[in-house]
Amino acid sequence: MKTFLVILILSAVVFCLSFTFRHKKEYTSLYNTTLEDFKRDQSQLYDFIKNADLGNGADREKIKKRIHDSRLKLKSLDFWLRYLEPIAYRRINGPLPVEWETEVFEKFEPPYYRGGGGLMLAELSLEEDPFNKSALLTLMDSSLTGIKTFEADSITTQLNSFDHFFLANRLYILNLAALYTTGFECPDTSNIIRELRSMMKDIRKVYSNFNVEFPATPLTADYLTLYNNAVEFVEGQSLQFSLFDHFTFIRDFVNPLFGMNQQFINTYNVQSINFNDYSLENSVNSIFDKRLYNSQNTKGIFSFVEDEKVLAEIKRIGKLLFYDPILSGNNKRSCASCHKPTEFFTDTTQATSPHFDHQQKLARNTPTLVNSIFNHLIMQDGKHISLQGQARDVITNPDEMNGVEKDLVKKVMSCKEYKDAFKKFLKYTPEEKEVSLSHISAALTLYYADFSNYHAPFDDAMHHKTSLTPEVKHGFNLFMSKAQCGTCHFVPQFNGIKPPYISSEFEVLGVPADTGFTKLSSDHGRYSVHPASEMMNAFRTGTVRNAPFTKPYMHNGVFNTLEEVIDFYDMGGGVGKKLSVPNQTLASDSLKLTVEEKANLIAFIHSLNENVIFEAPPSGLPSSSNKSLNGRKVGGEY
Amino acid sequence: MKLIVTILTLVMLSIIFHQCVTQKKATAYDIPDHVTAANRQAFIEKCEKGKVLYKIHCSGCHGIYSKGKDGVPNFTKIQIDSYHAAALIGIDPKNHAVAKKMSSEQVDQVITFLRLRKID
Repeated sequence: MKTFLVILILSAVVFCLSFTFRHKKEYTSLYNTTLEDFKRDQSQLYDFIKNADLGNGADREKIKKRIHDSRLKLKSLDFWLRYLEPIAYRRINGPLPVEWETEVFEKFEPPYYRGGGGLMLAELSLEEDPFNKSALLTLMDSSLTGIKTFEADSITTQLNSFDHFFLANRLYILNLAALYTTGFECPDTSNIIRELRSMMKDIRKVYSNFNVEFPATPLTADYLTLYNNAVEFVEGQSLQFSLFDHFTFIRDFVNPLFGMNQQFINTYNVQSINFNDYSLENSVNSIFDKRLYNSQNTKGIFSFVEDEKVLAEIKRIGKLLFYDPILSGNNKRSCASCHKPTEFFTDTTQATSPHFDHQQKLARNTPTLVNSIFNHLIMQDGKHISLQGQARDVITNPDEMNGVEKDLVKKVMSCKEYKDAFKKFLKYTPEEKEVSLSHISAALTLYYADFSNYHAPFDDAMHHKTSLTPEVKHGFNLFMSKAQCGTCHFVPQFNGIKPPYISSEFEVLGVPADTGFTKLSSDHGRYSVHPASEMMNAFRTGTVRNAPFTKPYMHNGVFNTLEEVIDFYDMGGGVGKKLSVPNQTLASDSLKLTVEEKANLIAFIHSLNENVIFEAPPSGLPSSSNKSLNGRKVGGEY
Repeated sequence: MKLIVTILTLVMLSIIFHQCVTQKKATAYDIPDHVTAANRQAFIEKCEKGKVLYKIHCSGCHGIYSKGKDGVPNFTKIQIDSYHAAALIGIDPKNHAVAKKMSSEQVDQVITFLRLRKID
């Protein structure tokens, strides 16, 4: 009898425990059921398309409606899928059929092929004429394959600890600012805000279930209240995405949520095992802090130097070298010849700079160095993975500075001031036996990198430190919606790097050779570095920051004013101007911007002018033991 | 006459000795035969730089030249064969604060050193 009782009590305890255990698994089971539901939906959609008679428009409309419903289901999973496996996510909802990517930690590898498929491309394919059913089925099949990835143990085991949650949440918040409100991968613009609403509401459930399963590391009440306010704000907004108040949404909700989530990451000591977090900095509390992500090592070979005094000394030498024509083959051209350090490190007077021989012109416009450190790939064709590699290339390029490494190191070391300094710096690079071009290029990048650390009125407004005029705010809202700028120039750097900020993007715009649009620019761009057909005439997306100071525009400097640039986009790029650009990635139909809208866009672009404090040029250059070198002009000439 | 013989012998010996030394340096790394002489030299230089960086910044934990730390890879032949830059700086960025600090050229030097190093 007694044993029976004990067994009874024990089994009762076990029963209760198993119950509470099941109860506590609410978060992981939400993932599993939502994914299961979506999977079922996708295979039903596949069958529906397979059996539908697509000869008539009515059935196409039905499919379109079904795709829209599926997208809402996907959005409730977006939080997890985008973070846990972004490559598989592209099979479910990819923006392009083929993408070539070089991620930051794979810089030494050739670009990777990334196939896209799924809902966005399926929806776009419905517009095609003649309609291709098998292509549509292939796209849907891609989605089904993509979903399988998310059932794998390697993915689902991550859900058992709280770490991934705060990191996925960070990416979700960053995407709220940069992607979800711009229609980046939602072809039907009338659905953008509808999807945003639905997704934000569904994530509330993810949040509350997380707090049940991980009570020791919860989202705080403050966070949840602010999030609910954000949901309410979006509910109160127009469904027309061009009327959506992107500015207030980011300033009052998204950015503060980001700051709170960063605090969770720090206080809960969250650990990452995911490459999505590689570039992001845990110590910043605002998306508009310039340290948000790391893309370039500006120290180069001096990477282990921490002493501020030594760094300042390297920068001082870097500044002298930047202005010193000693780095060129004929001792006449310096970095400052084209990158004028008092004018945003660019040259506003020339479309492209003179060739070294002064007979021809270079192929590309001189880009500003301000904010160049926020790119993963350098140069407009992404040829270089580091700023130091870029400096080395320009210095030794026969068309540009025409220097020879051995000679110019010798010339530099013939100047006592340089020699003393570099002998001292050599101590910090034990792997190098003697001073080399690597030391020189690292000094140059350390010098100019500091000029990228300034903020613009727009950043200040995001931090409630200043207010912007209604025109500027309207301009930003247009930038993020109707004008379709924000789908390539991403928040917060407004360059081609989107969350999680691990790779640089390239676009094909169809930039003409001349303002008469007689022919396409003959520059092959990215194709010359990576010969894939998609990359023909593709160029790395530049930043919009400081644009009013960095004319002329585009890779070849063909446009002289911001108005011309906006008109070019408004007309649908090269295709819109009747040029043949089969792989253009820019929408080729008109944006239909009004005169007032264009003016507001430009007003917004002006709010991204940074308060950079430039330094006066050095008063002189170090003197050399070789007398013939001592006539060098500070800053050189062209 | 004797003097000339001595000098000649010494010269011969030094040439042989020099050859031995360079030979030894070249065989410290596994560089495929088809690599040209100039590239071979560039690889060796890169490896030598990587080796210096490795000894200073990595070997405290990854024991090739020291005991290292328990549970941290020591880069045996099998480990290194399946190795990749991503493994060093991508997979676990927090644990690889050192690697993250390095410039991409320095990472390249260390990886090249690890890939080409002869392991007995």
